[in-house]
Amino acid sequence: MPAPPDRRHVGAPLPRLDAWGKVTGATTFLSDEPRSDAWLGAAVRSPLPHARLVSVSKTAAFPPQAVLLTAADLPCANLVAMVREDLPLLAADEVRFATQPVALVAAPDRETLKAALAAVAVELEELPAVLDLDAALRGEGPVWGADNVVAEYRIDRGDPDAAFASAVTVVEGTYSTGYQEHMYLEPQGVVATPRPDGGVEILGSLQCPYYIHNALKRALGLDGDRVVVRQSPTGGAFGGKEDYPSILALQAAVLALRCGQPVSMIYERREDVACTTKRHPSRTRYRSAFDGEGRLLAVDIDLVLDAGAFTTLSPVVLSRGVLHVAGPYRVPHARIRGRTVATHTPPNGAFRGFGVPKAAFACERQMDRAARRLGLDPAELRRRNLVRDGDTFVFGQTLRPGMAAADLVLERVLDRSGYEQRRREARAFNAGGGPLRRGVGVTLTMHGGGFTGDGEDRIKGKVAVRLDPDGLVTLLVSSVEMGQGAATVLPQIAAEALGLPVGRIRFHQPDTSAVPDSGPTVASRTTMVVGRILVAACRQLADKARAFAGDKAADPLLAAGHAGLTATAVYESDPDIDWDQSTMHGDAYQGWSWAAAVAEVEVDVDTMEVRPVRLTHVVEIGCAVNPVLCVGQVEGGALQGLAWGHLEEMKLKDGRYWNDRMSTYIIPTSLDAPDFDVELAELPSPRGPFGAKGLGELPLNAGAPALAAAVEDALDIEVFEAPVTPEILLARWREVSR
Amino acid sequence: MKISMWVNGVHRDLEVPPLKRLLDVLREDLDLVGAKEGCGEGECGACAVILDGRLVNSCLLPAYRAHGRVVRTIEGLGTPERPDPVQAAFVAEGAVQCGYCIPGLVMASRALLDDEAGPSRPRIREALAGNLCRCTGYERVVRAVELAARAPQRACGDEPAAGPWSSPQASTGDDVTVHLPTTLREACELLARGGVTVVGGATDLGVLLHEGIVSPAALLDLSRVAEVHGVRREGGALVIGAATPYADLMRDPDVARDLPCLHEAVRTVGAPAIQSLGTLGGNLVNGSPGADAVPPLLALDARVRLVSAAGEREVSADAFFTGYRATVRRDDELVAAVVVPVPAAGTRQSFRKAGTRRAQAIAKVNLAACARIEDGTLREVRLAAGSVGPTVVLLRVAMAILEGGRVADLERLAGAAAAAARDEVTPIDDVRSTERYRREVTGNLVARFVTSLSS
Repeated sequence: MPAPPDRRHVGAPLPRLDAWGKVTGATTFLSDEPRSDAWLGAAVRSPLPHARLVSVSKTAAFPPQAVLLTAADLPCANLVAMVREDLPLLAADEVRFATQPVALVAAPDRETLKAALAAVAVELEELPAVLDLDAALRGEGPVWGADNVVAEYRIDRGDPDAAFASAVTVVEGTYSTGYQEHMYLEPQGVVATPRPDGGVEILGSLQCPYYIHNALKRALGLDGDRVVVRQSPTGGAFGGKEDYPSILALQAAVLALRCGQPVSMIYERREDVACTTKRHPSRTRYRSAFDGEGRLLAVDIDLVLDAGAFTTLSPVVLSRGVLHVAGPYRVPHARIRGRTVATHTPPNGAFRGFGVPKAAFACERQMDRAARRLGLDPAELRRRNLVRDGDTFVFGQTLRPGMAAADLVLERVLDRSGYEQRRREARAFNAGGGPLRRGVGVTLTMHGGGFTGDGEDRIKGKVAVRLDPDGLVTLLVSSVEMGQGAATVLPQIAAEALGLPVGRIRFHQPDTSAVPDSGPTVASRTTMVVGRILVAACRQLADKARAFAGDKAADPLLAAGHAGLTATAVYESDPDIDWDQSTMHGDAYQGWSWAAAVAEVEVDVDTMEVRPVRLTHVVEIGCAVNPVLCVGQVEGGALQGLAWGHLEEMKLKDGRYWNDRMSTYIIPTSLDAPDFDVELAELPSPRGPFGAKGLGELPLNAGAPALAAAVEDALDIEVFEAPVTPEILLARWREVSR
Repeated sequence: MKISMWVNGVHRDLEVPPLKRLLDVLREDLDLVGAKEGCGEGECGACAVILDGRLVNSCLLPAYRAHGRVVRTIEGLGTPERPDPVQAAFVAEGAVQCGYCIPGLVMASRALLDDEAGPSRPRIREALAGNLCRCTGYERVVRAVELAARAPQRACGDEPAAGPWSSPQASTGDDVTVHLPTTLREACELLARGGVTVVGGATDLGVLLHEGIVSPAALLDLSRVAEVHGVRREGGALVIGAATPYADLMRDPDVARDLPCLHEAVRTVGAPAIQSLGTLGGNLVNGSPGADAVPPLLALDARVRLVSAAGEREVSADAFFTGYRATVRRDDELVAAVVVPVPAAGTRQSFRKAGTRRAQAIAKVNLAACARIEDGTLREVRLAAGSVGPTVVLLRVAMAILEGGRVADLERLAGAAAAAARDEVTPIDDVRSTERYRREVTGNLVARFVTSLSS
């Protein structure tokens, strides 16, 4: 590897630029700003998962000053534009999931709102509901379309049937994963304000200003200038504020337009948990064929996701899942089928990882199951099968020189964690009897950064930079800061590109009236893709400043401060990328990031409580623009993955989320978190700025499979599900010991 | 209600509804918006502030309880120019991501370092366990607290001492009457008149009020009644004032030495901000089968001291509960104290909770157990289990199997007692666990205790 170039800002462990505001309490989140003029809005929701909506009406007690909007009263198209336009803003004549809004109410204050909500009569005629995946797969209902299949993708490579016929060992397993609630600490919220020009302005806690902008334009039939979306400091999102804010903002917008008043809709926790999108539950049937040396010959995989009642982002989640489900392994022959099917449950949506965590869980569980069958150490089986430069994924992408780092991260994590010794120590400890068992598990995962295939070409992200009179450069991007560090990392990239101190860079709060559409803050694309466009914009600006100030100017960007210079760059892909969306074939992702983790757990066999003790995580991300922030991303993402693997269980009861509060939906406390040891490896990628690739979602992929592997090692029983709760483990332990 | 308090060193006089949450008083009346609402039920700690030196969840505390007290919020801690070492360490270690939980986490860290110098990593994790963070994985946060602990701590010189406590003055518009008696007699007289809801730590009340499940007309708050606070020795027993906060109970050396199973149970109640407020009396009267501090009281054969204007009586902790959230307490009676006989020397005590997680957890099952070995024979075996029926229960069948059993026969006894325990409990499936798990684990924990007696 060449020596890293001499850099001053990229690679520096700079404290995040918004840290002081946050540690002193000065940062104002949406609910922190007094809004005495705003009315309050709320949705009237269906308690039933499937029903004919007979009527929605005001009773006599409805306060006269309050406002009620039903589907019939909507002053706009009844749709929330996402991947499709099937989701209505309000149910018109059929309710298809519990909590689906059937009306909207606004009132000038809390008491009036409460009275108004109590004075809305909703008449429903209950219909049979399809609540489980099997019923949905049989086409019952149908809930959606003709057969409930919201989307289906296939990948075929080679001749899997012949490969299975020639296999020495065939391994089969079925793996399931559950819902996951984002539980960002700041609940969802927006405030909509009518504009004098008949448009509307949204301020909210959100990830994707232009998704909302588009949803509002589409439904309200407004031109883009009359819709403004501004982001308030956002207290966590993790994908949960990718899709849902479009719904919430549209609700607030129609109420605001109807009342002629600003309307605030800020959720309390229970409404947030009960009504917002979750990670899709999944079930994967996985068959693998191996030769006599433990080398993969073929896979046959059937991946099914529960979409909930409407499309939202499910097809996109599915396609990413399908592309990752064969894992970071060489698989000459493959048959992969992915479907996402509808049920009468709340629509599921984006969650950090976006289809990959469940795919990785199935793939990695299957590799561990295979290792047991083949009598190989799980690390050794992975070593024999992992992809290297020159190998081709099942979907036809060949890894060019320098792209593959599966080998690197696996060997590093084994070494760093002392894997073999820790396994031996755990065995010795367990041989001593007693109620505690220790186990060590390894996992290997990958994540494609940026949109799939030609997605970035289609959205053509745009970035602007502006030179201000004070000599500071303002970054105009629609990528939001939601805790992940965009408002620090992008300035570091700009500073490096411009040769300026980071203090000379300003990050503009995303606002569709001021910043261009750089695309949504999703898909681990901000650093890699938006950062790349930003570098291009910065270089243009530097050229313009030099042209203005002359070659002799010591600090052309300062000298040109009054010139009113701006530069805009649009995403341009490299010419050597080959992708066919219709067959899902080719270069699916421009930059692959790699992660391997070793989890060590302790399990109490009397209670089957699982305690993650240590997680060693090695990630390869091209270039760590800010190593401290990168490590924080890895630790936080890994804990979300670990907890999804054993603690976080969302149950449905009558089609509603049962664990609808923080005391019943369990996220980890500081005592539930392991000690983390993280290493950042860097193989610079030509696709990203200064070699950087995606990171945000990668660490979530490894947590659950690493934990499951460690639990399996501790107890010598197999784990097929995430979360693997103490209840499941205890039942399985009894079966085995009897 | 007119209340006065010191907030960040400034004396504040306010007129607010008595049950307005301290969180809302800070945010709406004092424009101190650093404390955040993340859950509204004392679960996430984003609203945590320091009240008289202890971390509390301001979303659970009614305004009247802040009267005469000293409150510190994130705004009073430091500025970028003159930061508190905790703030500086959070910035330096990269402990901040989205920032929404950070005011609470910083205050929890501050409260810890005010309480002890150089805490260990496990102590730091324990002290932060009531402050949920979804971004960081906690590693950077723990490191930040370690770093802050090594820095010179700033004295907060401008903090006045709390009190003296006058009573807050009612306002004409108050929608609830709050009685804050200072003597037990006064409390009993108020109670005898009827129509009041008794308040201990207010941690349950805060949730019920916020969700509109209760709307009491009058409250009788015991936080100023000295007689129901503290731990004292009466003959061979420890008498624990019913309104003693868990935080005091945890630190009590007599409880730690003589009643280790109670000590251990108290440590598992919620997390620090709950322990600052919650009380043993509240845990009893509330009558939840999952109350963590209650099984030890049954296992230790404690008596509940009920006091009324008419007199005083004591009821065994076991007989105190009559059904799900139902007790023998009459409406005119207060739980004033719990009288816990100190077990004979050599008594083994144990408490084990299987919760939904390792802190801030409601029990799926918990078990308190006591037994003594005399001449190779098990004596005074008492086992009490929680979350396995409508009330906390003594496992009488299992106890009978063990009583008088020989130590030499422990393995068989453990198996038999475990099987009996599994049979005699009456758990249910609910949002947290299953009937099957609860039965099984009750037996496992019984067996584990019995087996441990051999060592």
